[in-house]
Amino acid sequence: MRSLIAFFQRDARHFQIIFLAGFLAYGIAVLQWDAEWQRYLILFGTCLAVQALFISWKKLPWHSIKSAMVTGLGMSLLLKADSMWVLALGAAVAIASKFLIRIDGKHVFNPGNLGIAAAVLLTGQAWVSPGQWGSGAALVFLVGAAGCMVVLRVGRIDTSLAFLGAFAALDFARQVLYLGWEPEVWLHRMSNGSLLLFTFFMITDPMTTPKAQGARIGWSIAIAVLAFVLGWKYWVNATPIWALLIVSSITPVLDRIWKGQSFRWLVPANPTA
Amino acid sequence: MRHFLIPALALLAHQASAFCGFYIAKADATLFNDRSEIILVRDGQRTILTMSNDFKGDVKDFALVVPVPTILQRDDIKVVERRVFDALDAYSAPRLVEYYDENPCQRWKYAEMLDSDANEAPSATSTMKREAKSAKGKGVTIEARYTVGEYDILILSATESMGLKDWLIENGYRIPQTAHEVLDPYIKSNLKFFVVKVNLQQLSASGFNTLRPIQIRFESHKFMLPIRLGMANSNGSQDMIVHAFTRTGRVECVNYRTVKVPTDRNIPLFVKERFGPFYKDLFARAHRREGRNTVFLEYAWNVTPSFNGMKCDPCVGPPPMPREFAQAGADWSQQGAPTFYTRLHVRYARDQFPQDLVFQVTPNTEHFQARYVLTHPAQGELTCSEGQDYLEELYYRRHRELEELNALTGWNVEKHRDYANEVKGRMNPEQLRKMETPLGIPFKGPGGPGAPLMIAIAAGVALLLLNLFSRRQLQVA
Repeated sequence: MRSLIAFFQRDARHFQIIFLAGFLAYGIAVLQWDAEWQRYLILFGTCLAVQALFISWKKLPWHSIKSAMVTGLGMSLLLKADSMWVLALGAAVAIASKFLIRIDGKHVFNPGNLGIAAAVLLTGQAWVSPGQWGSGAALVFLVGAAGCMVVLRVGRIDTSLAFLGAFAALDFARQVLYLGWEPEVWLHRMSNGSLLLFTFFMITDPMTTPKAQGARIGWSIAIAVLAFVLGWKYWVNATPIWALLIVSSITPVLDRIWKGQSFRWLVPANPTA
Repeated sequence: MRHFLIPALALLAHQASAFCGFYIAKADATLFNDRSEIILVRDGQRTILTMSNDFKGDVKDFALVVPVPTILQRDDIKVVERRVFDALDAYSAPRLVEYYDENPCQRWKYAEMLDSDANEAPSATSTMKREAKSAKGKGVTIEARYTVGEYDILILSATESMGLKDWLIENGYRIPQTAHEVLDPYIKSNLKFFVVKVNLQQLSASGFNTLRPIQIRFESHKFMLPIRLGMANSNGSQDMIVHAFTRTGRVECVNYRTVKVPTDRNIPLFVKERFGPFYKDLFARAHRREGRNTVFLEYAWNVTPSFNGMKCDPCVGPPPMPREFAQAGADWSQQGAPTFYTRLHVRYARDQFPQDLVFQVTPNTEHFQARYVLTHPAQGELTCSEGQDYLEELYYRRHRELEELNALTGWNVEKHRDYANEVKGRMNPEQLRKMETPLGIPFKGPGGPGAPLMIAIAAGVALLLLNLFSRRQLQVA
């Protein structure tokens, strides 16, 4: 038991994998998503395969395969397509981008985010279903709690809070204060499972968030503002995903201006390792 | 032995081969009270919305207020024939199909019968001045005024919800006193109001007894249905059937879950006579189970005129003609361009649906239909050993059908135990002795927890492997 606890404490990705797999199982069992395991297998398998390829090519440590698992699971929760090749393309782009689009030794885009955008924009045959989670209270609690556990361990709770706080405030101002809808309309919008999943499991990726805390908070608020404007002005769906993609492209600039420590997934056995 | 495959059908819909079931009954939209039917066509930024109402009162009391994103021109408004709805409804409604078991003792004979069945192809919608004057004082502007068919139509814009509400009430539009609460957000969202009353003279001149559906078209980013206004005066639930057409694929709801209605279930033969009530109860139960806040998918199919694949299995009615799709607003269909048909059914009430319905067009072309399967037992002598084994299987199958019926509708199936037990009467004593358990085997529905369990196990195994990996890594480090 002790080794199990130690195992989880060593690497926050272990939590991520467990929770994301749990959400997927919940989606299929309770929310009645299409239980087409082939789709999940393709996404997951392609992520692992491409990661393995780069690991052996670049002689990287094998524990980084866990990142590919997180990306694969995250994409399984969000990306939909009829054709398998579209899913494979999305997954391949996601992982390959980590190794190919790098500035100052750090990858620029959130892999899952870029993979989803690539599949949707390049093929026109993939889509994201923001409504698939519904707005169940229990779910909100679960995603929130699980997400907090992970981001607290990773140390990126500032990202989640800044994004969700800014987005919720803007939406409240628009829906309730300006338009005059009842607060429950706003609550219904904010309890959307997809939004929460994004808040706690996507923008918190420590490898692609700005290194310095101040920059990170500003960056999260920028995503929130852009997501809000896209939704309000242009009626775009799944706006946080597009906002993250756009704002991510300035992360390297933020990192150059505001310096901070690079993130490492493993809690080292000894501090010098 | 049964000669067809039912489960796995939803998964295999793309490559569905010929099935020998044929349509016998449908659960059409008329089953549901307080229902409205909508045809929603989305083509790029263009929306064509056709509204049909089951208005039952005096036509002079009829009033319709629909928030719209733009000031509609005369050409943007049409009256269409009700039969377009009827044709679509008949085609896409949940359906009951029949299959026949072959007699294992006469296998060769059945093959011939099957051919003849297959050949039976499936066969089967004065006051103008006063208005304007009072409008000015209330911040209401009459942007346009048209008479289309039997309807008098006004396009209003407003600056103030109380004024709009008062104006509507003064001018004979029966809207609830609390409506301003809902009108306010629409006004501030810069929406206009499409307001309709019946022109009694035109109605009597047209020779129609009933009000025909109204069709409007506009260009807008917004792809939504404003359901909140309709709920202002109602605490109860209302049903809405949405027949949606796009060029690319399914329409789904963005701010509520879109869930498939249970389909491909084997149910007892006696449901044939009560298919309407069966589907009604099934829907009510599914609605409750999903938390009363979901949109249900009842049908999704590629209906492109030139599409060579199967259009439905089985078809409930003759496929609508390209002309009917064009009347519905999918005008590109007549040129043979890709057309995808989605039928959504939503039962909404104020407490569970705080937001208007927002939709998106997806490239999802997976076919779906709500179908329920009746299987007739084999006919003739079943005294051979295969025949007796068949009867045993039939007995268990009927138990499963009863349990399925109970699970789907909540109907009490105890009184129908004879449905299964009568099969025993045809079994010989030896076969009866062979049967292990006298009463049914537990029901196991399709789509059980198989996949989630697999995922959980896979995640567990992966973590164990990772544990080993990362240990080694740390040691190396």
